[in-house]
Amino acid sequence: MTSSAAIGRRVAPLLACIGLLAAWQVAALALKNDSFPTALEAMRAVPAILGDKEALINILASLRRMAIGFAAAVAVSIPLGLLMGRSRTVAAFFNPLLMVIYPVPKAALMPIIMLWLGVGDIAKTLVIFLGVSLPVIYHSFEGAKAVEEKMLWSGAAMGLSAAQCLVRIVLPAALPEILTGCRTGLVLALITMITSEMIARQSGAGNILFNALDMGQYDTVFAMIIIVGAMGIGLDAAFEKVRARLVRWSEPQFDMPLSFS
Amino acid sequence: MTSRALSTDVLLGLLPIALLIALWQGLVSFELAPVALLPPPGLVFSRLLQQLVTFSFQQEIIATLFRLFTGFLIAVALGVGVGMVAAASPAINATVRPLVRVLAPLPKVALYPALLLLLGFGHESKIALVAADALFPILLSTYYGASTVEQKLIWSAMAAGTPRREILLKVVLPAAMPSILTGCRIGLVISCIVVFLAEMITSTDGLGHVLITAARTFQAVDMFVPLITISLLGLILNALLQAARSYLLRGFPEA
Amino acid sequence: MKVLPSRSSEVATPGPARQPATAMIEIDHVSQVFQTSARKDHLALSDISLTIEDGAFVSILGPSGCGKSTLLYIVGGFVSPTSGSAKVKGKTITAPGPDRGPVFQEFALFPWKTVLGNVMYGPRQQGVRATEAEAQSRALIEMVGLKGYENFFPKELSGGMKQRVALARTLAYHPEVLLMDEPFGALDAHTRTRLQNDLLNIWERDRKTVLFVTHSVDEAVFLSDKVVMMSRSPGRIRQVIDIDLPRPRRRTELLLDPRYQKYVVDIERMFDDIDEAGVNP
Repeated sequence: MTSSAAIGRRVAPLLACIGLLAAWQVAALALKNDSFPTALEAMRAVPAILGDKEALINILASLRRMAIGFAAAVAVSIPLGLLMGRSRTVAAFFNPLLMVIYPVPKAALMPIIMLWLGVGDIAKTLVIFLGVSLPVIYHSFEGAKAVEEKMLWSGAAMGLSAAQCLVRIVLPAALPEILTGCRTGLVLALITMITSEMIARQSGAGNILFNALDMGQYDTVFAMIIIVGAMGIGLDAAFEKVRARLVRWSEPQFDMPLSFS
Repeated sequence: MTSRALSTDVLLGLLPIALLIALWQGLVSFELAPVALLPPPGLVFSRLLQQLVTFSFQQEIIATLFRLFTGFLIAVALGVGVGMVAAASPAINATVRPLVRVLAPLPKVALYPALLLLLGFGHESKIALVAADALFPILLSTYYGASTVEQKLIWSAMAAGTPRREILLKVVLPAAMPSILTGCRIGLVISCIVVFLAEMITSTDGLGHVLITAARTFQAVDMFVPLITISLLGLILNALLQAARSYLLRGFPEA
Repeated sequence: MKVLPSRSSEVATPGPARQPATAMIEIDHVSQVFQTSARKDHLALSDISLTIEDGAFVSILGPSGCGKSTLLYIVGGFVSPTSGSAKVKGKTITAPGPDRGPVFQEFALFPWKTVLGNVMYGPRQQGVRATEAEAQSRALIEMVGLKGYENFFPKELSGGMKQRVALARTLAYHPEVLLMDEPFGALDAHTRTRLQNDLLNIWERDRKTVLFVTHSVDEAVFLSDKVVMMSRSPGRIRQVIDIDLPRPRRRTELLLDPRYQKYVVDIERMFDDIDEAGVNP
């Protein structure tokens, strides 16, 4: 890969952002709708929100809950997923339960959890925890299942116990797949956070969004969308950096258009 | 796997679900949790059966399913189309790739207020949100599947006289089908989740709205009913897709 | 021609000009460069010229990495050469076409089609009516010894059976040239032998032109009229050896035939020379 291609790769998402904002600007100017501000108007409202102390504290509190929920979910889900991947009994035990839980919107549990635990941090963090767990479990499971049997035999021949095999062979071998799950989980954490705040309507970024919508402050609505969007893209990009570093040894991802065109 | 091992697996799998319900019943029976907060499972399931036969509840399910399917189908059409073309054309690839990199991790639910303002509070905004959320897993797995099609499969078809413009439809699409269907499966679950959430946030009908109405009046039993319904719907739709998958992929190894 | 032409005189290859009008494939000063990384180019093929007559069975033999498959892909029209040209029946090759049918080591069967569906694909693509294509395909499937397996999917077949299907699929659209890319390389020794015999039987019926890539000396000598020896880094034609053995060939008879043994031993020695002189890529 030449360095100019590498620069292009780095600049392209930036260009895409600019292109999207430009498309928004044009669409807003063309529609001339009161409730659809232009991109520039929305961006002008961003500093106002971030400058507002209360809003900033709210957003930071949201992020803190998200981080705790995410970390706890990853800590529980990776070992569970790996065990499921290496033991048919464990997998048979948990799979149906997970399948039942899978299509249930975790943020939709918010009203019930609020009923039990109140509207505090615990309820919101718990919902994020639930939202993140499933993809991480699933990908850890798939990753562990795909580990080459002979690699484990080699480990056993070298005198590793079953538990050591899990930590020293299965975990690193499944790491690329686990990190893919974590990446999905990270975006899901953000989504669950925003959604649960939209439903609970107590505090946080999601609440700011809908309060502004109710009060007709459309600039603020769209500015919040920009902020939340930037959080999503920023978190994903940061995680991708970490991921790429951790799995440098793995096969490079296939990244080439087909040659029949 | 023998059928006997299979049936032990099924029993083993039912165990945690049974335990969960037993725990639930126990909490209520020993009055560890007040009935107002945690209604007994028997009550919840009998209310579910009761509701399922009422016309008004069926209407709510139909509203939810309509949004779910429309959004999901839009996502499939767009995702498969764009994914295939992006795998085939370097020029389109160069445009699509950075857009996807930016848009895929964007929390789509944050766009919901904007969709409400632009498309109104009816079906359209919810369908658009479902489509936006289900789109990316389908698009990415289509792209992945299409760009890893065995080159010699394409060569074989070309040598047999397939024109270049037909290769995409006749070889790449069927060869990428396992990956496409995996994406569709993820997209379907996401559709279930998103349609419910959208209805919870703002709606006048649908299962999500039923939950919110119950929550506002603190009817714990009625809060459980729509949640169990959406879980069942998800399971049924997943099973249908699984059946379609095993038919479509009957030629593929390990399908 | 005697058993083996003297080595020194055969380094050059016959160019297109020296051949009579029956040339099926003409490869003219073909070179192929692959970019392996930002700064490194790899010369896979260096100035290859070769003419293959109509109806000849020609094997390309060489160590791995000598570019023999690449040469086949160029004739197939799957890869375009960096310089030089390849012609089939006097026309420059620019794209794949049904006049040149490939059979790959990886079989490359369509997993979503049955055996019959795979074999019918080519004729249907050529516009043959469905009933007619089916009749032809069933006959071909029988010819390759897979009668009764028409409605099986490839995943249900063994490697040898898959390769039979792949051969039938290619024969179904009546290519004038068969391009075989180490077709038996993924098979076990016993299956390989059986398929070699069957291929010869089929070939001796209609004598299509065959370009056969292999790294097995026995296989090349047993099957071919002509063996093209290649060396690697860069891929060059080392020598072209005419295999002057009677047809139809029977494996059991040939194995005892001193002429066959001499061909094999001489070519094996040449391989050793290439390995000693050769640089590891």
